[in-house]
Amino acid sequence: MKTLKQFADEINKCVLCGTCRSVCPTFGVVQREPASARGKVALCGAYLNKEIELSDVFIKQMNECVQCMACKTACPNDVNVPDIILAARAEVAKERGLPFAKSFIFKNILDSERFMPAAMKFASKLQGLLFKGVPEESGLHRRFPLPLIDEMRLVPQLAERFFLEARSQKPEDIGNIPLPTPSTPLPPPAGDRRSQKSEVRSQNNNSRPRIGFFAGCLINYMLPNIGEACLKVLERAGASVIVPLDQHCCGMPVLGNGDIETAKSLALKNLEAFEKYELDYITTACATCGDGLKRRFKELLGDEYPERVNAFSSKVRDITELLVNELQISTPNSQLPTPNSIVTYHDPCHLRRGQGIADEPRELIEMSGAKLKEMSHPCRCCGLGGSFNITNYDFSMEINRSKAEDIKNTGADIVATACPGCMIQIKDGLHRLGADTKVVHVVELLLHSPSP
Amino acid sequence: MLYKDIIKELTHIVGKENITTSKEDLICYSYDATNQKFLPDAVVFPKNADEISLILKLANKEGFHVVPRGAGSGFSGGSLPVEGGVVVSLERMNKIMKIDADNLIAIVEPGVVTGELQWAVEDLGLFYPPDPSSLKFCTIGGNVAECAGGPRAVKYGVTKDYVLGLEVVLPTGEIVNTGTQTLKGVVGYDLTKLMVGSEGTLGIVTKIILKLLPLPEATKTILAVFSDMRDAAATVSRIISSRIIPSTLEFMDKNSISCVDDYANMGLPADVEALLLIEVDGDRELIEKQAEGIKKICLDNMAREVRVAGDKREVKQLWQIRRAISPSLAKLKPNKINEDIVVPRSKIPDAIIGVREIAKKYNLTNANFGHAGDGNIHVNIMIDKHVPEGFNQGSDKAEFLRAEKAVKEIFELVLGLGGTISGEHGIGISKMPYIGMELSPTAIDVMKKIKQVLDPKGVLNPGKIFPTL
Ligand SMILES: Cc1cc2nc3c(=O)[nH]c(=O)nc-3n(C[C@H](O)[C@H](O)[C@H](O)COP(=O)(O)OP(=O)(O)OC[C@H]3O[C@@H](n4cnc5c(N)ncnc54)[C@H](O)[C@@H]3O)c2cc1C
Ligand code: SF4
Ligand code: SF4
Repeated sequence: MKTLKQFADEINKCVLCGTCRSVCPTFGVVQREPASARGKVALCGAYLNKEIELSDVFIKQMNECVQCMACKTACPNDVNVPDIILAARAEVAKERGLPFAKSFIFKNILDSERFMPAAMKFASKLQGLLFKGVPEESGLHRRFPLPLIDEMRLVPQLAERFFLEARSQKPEDIGNIPLPTPSTPLPPPAGDRRSQKSEVRSQNNNSRPRIGFFAGCLINYMLPNIGEACLKVLERAGASVIVPLDQHCCGMPVLGNGDIETAKSLALKNLEAFEKYELDYITTACATCGDGLKRRFKELLGDEYPERVNAFSSKVRDITELLVNELQISTPNSQLPTPNSIVTYHDPCHLRRGQGIADEPRELIEMSGAKLKEMSHPCRCCGLGGSFNITNYDFSMEINRSKAEDIKNTGADIVATACPGCMIQIKDGLHRLGADTKVVHVVELLLHSPSP
Repeated sequence: MLYKDIIKELTHIVGKENITTSKEDLICYSYDATNQKFLPDAVVFPKNADEISLILKLANKEGFHVVPRGAGSGFSGGSLPVEGGVVVSLERMNKIMKIDADNLIAIVEPGVVTGELQWAVEDLGLFYPPDPSSLKFCTIGGNVAECAGGPRAVKYGVTKDYVLGLEVVLPTGEIVNTGTQTLKGVVGYDLTKLMVGSEGTLGIVTKIILKLLPLPEATKTILAVFSDMRDAAATVSRIISSRIIPSTLEFMDKNSISCVDDYANMGLPADVEALLLIEVDGDRELIEKQAEGIKKICLDNMAREVRVAGDKREVKQLWQIRRAISPSLAKLKPNKINEDIVVPRSKIPDAIIGVREIAKKYNLTNANFGHAGDGNIHVNIMIDKHVPEGFNQGSDKAEFLRAEKAVKEIFELVLGLGGTISGEHGIGISKMPYIGMELSPTAIDVMKKIKQVLDPKGVLNPGKIFPTL
């Protein structure tokens, strides 16, 4: 990972034109320069010039960024503002110590009157999480003892059974069967004739593509049904799916807090978990995990294990990308409640700007038989921003408000997206707005009528 | 540093959340798009004219400087607190107060972002034409203070042509209303026009009454590609003299385009010398004819390729290229000396050829683009001011000195052609040394007297426009 100092040239590339003010969602809410991408770059420059220290104000500004990458895309000089900010957070963690960086976050919530209501909600949810959700004996929580779990508090509820836990109790699961035996595809649900037609054009039955499934924290803990949906769709598409049970959090939440060391060790553990299998692809249904596995893992491990990490990262595909481009599924496979459901699509920041994927999820929506109706700013950030949502809940929901309004204004029955984080955030936002639009993962549309 | 009790008074006026003196915040209000930095002593975020009035009265009493600031996208350093003092950020005063579709006017606070006003009126079938390339982030207040223009100026004029009236807090703290809500009005001197383009030195604008037009039915966007820059420049003059008034006529030379990544992705020829981006708007049938006429003029003047944008996405892409030029020039060299000269439109070929020769003479990298349709060309001389440690200081310094000489010669050329040294960016601090080249001592004297009358203590935005005041 590049240090802040190594970003000096990148910072100097910024000509302070102000273009990024027009896209930065934190500026959009605060309407003051320090909250804008330009302001943050200027502050990092000032720190490197020793004009300021790693003060509380500096740290606050660096934390008030949702890592949406909109500035980077809009910047005529390609200044990588989000990575500069990430490097600044790592600098804080290094210089002030991680406990400081973390405790600052909590101090910030609890001290500020503005965030008091959020803090209360946070505390009660946290209690819920700590006291009932985590089954000690599963052993799984120890592999995911990470900020996301204790910070992601507006999550609906912890799932009764975690995704990986459920997997581990299915002995027939391919995760436990030595290679190269492929999995038995789940039989198509009764009456779903269309599913029979789904095909894998490039592969015949003897050489079924072998796919490793990376769950990620949100799917594992909160939305295991998305994980299950992915497995079904993949299997129907004729792939053999392997779910390594010793996989870990992708590490992006800790990296977001500047903890490079933990992020590195998680990345390495994930490498180890997937390297055990001979895989054609590794896929995930979480945009942030996908962006991390593809791009950040190389930054984290590229120096020490260049070959291993390249081999790993080059296999990673977002689930929508995998289905459309690699497995080339082409036939509808869904049973929507009304065939004419209107679906609008939200572009997750880390899918569209992070991985450059915009068409594939839309193709899948159309394949499902639904009618796609675009909202006015499909790629505007939902405001989640990893742990930003916990440290700055009201702020985060303020960013989300325009997203929720855009969705509502389409009149769509369903909003689909391709990231469990965005789903949770959007559900919350729509709920606040009193809209009853259903929120689903694109993959769910391919499978069955999504439950509200 | 300001005295503690002044800060206390200011806090009293705007409230504790709306003033800051933290070093970090001051840094964020120390720069604008000139990429220069001057630290203020404090930044305040007032919410109305009354608060600004109190601030200015206090400034006169205590003798501190006050500098108004919109989005800080200015190209001449107008919002920079060159002599310290209090920056008055208008970011909080960002409400569109009224859009009156019956009378075709809008009333806005100064902090409204230009593009946001445009989208709001367009939703109602109305049109606010001034379109600086910075429209997605600059403010109407800043536009008024700089009399900003844009590509549409060739047909629709610039900001001053749309300002009907203002609410202004004078440097001494009095609040005045200038102009009218009507299209006509001749009662007394035209204070509105005096304020427009005064670069935040004669008053702080707190409310703006703007004229709107009906939204044109349709637009057509055309891109013409040339192998010889002179053909492109000649085409501009020919279009204007053909009596088709395009709504946009933008010129871009080779160096300008080379910096824009999007250009490469559009499947257009790579080895071009110049582009013209042309738009016509109005009645659907009429513009079809006009577009044909323009296409023919381009081809008659040796255009290599003429492309009429097929759909909205292509139009957006073409504009993206144009808007990305200015900031992306940094890819040529990190620092730019950016001059927005204007010449009579028939003199555009002379101006561009002359500028190129001067750049060549001084061995400088030069990129030219801009609103050729109104004779306004952005002449950019790219240099590297940054001298790495242990590097021979002489050579880069020499580049900067050569550039200064070149700028002076360019201004002489422009004035000789009957032009002006700044079409829209203003004088601020960037062009201060050259103002005497264009204005007579008498004209400068009158202007200074006006400033003196309105701001006897010199509290508002000092160190701008006039080399000594
Ligand atoms: C990429 C880019 C492209 C640009 N393209 C164009 C273009 O095509 N045409 C053009 O004309 N300009 C252009 N500009 C320059 C700039 O955007 C304009 O000058 C704009 O009007 C400045 O607005 P602002 O809100 O950023 O003002 P600031 O930069 O904040 O201030 C500009 C001046 O206005 C004063 N001011 C601001 N608000 C008030 C107020 N309420 N009352 C009194 N004084 C005030 C300030 O003191 C200062 O002197 C461009 C700039 C950039 C960065
Ligand atoms: S980051 Fe890019 S867009 Fe933002 S001010 Fe700097 S150069 Fe301009
Ligand atoms: S990544 Fe998003 S929130 Fe962060 S500075 Fe850039 S635009 Fe703003």
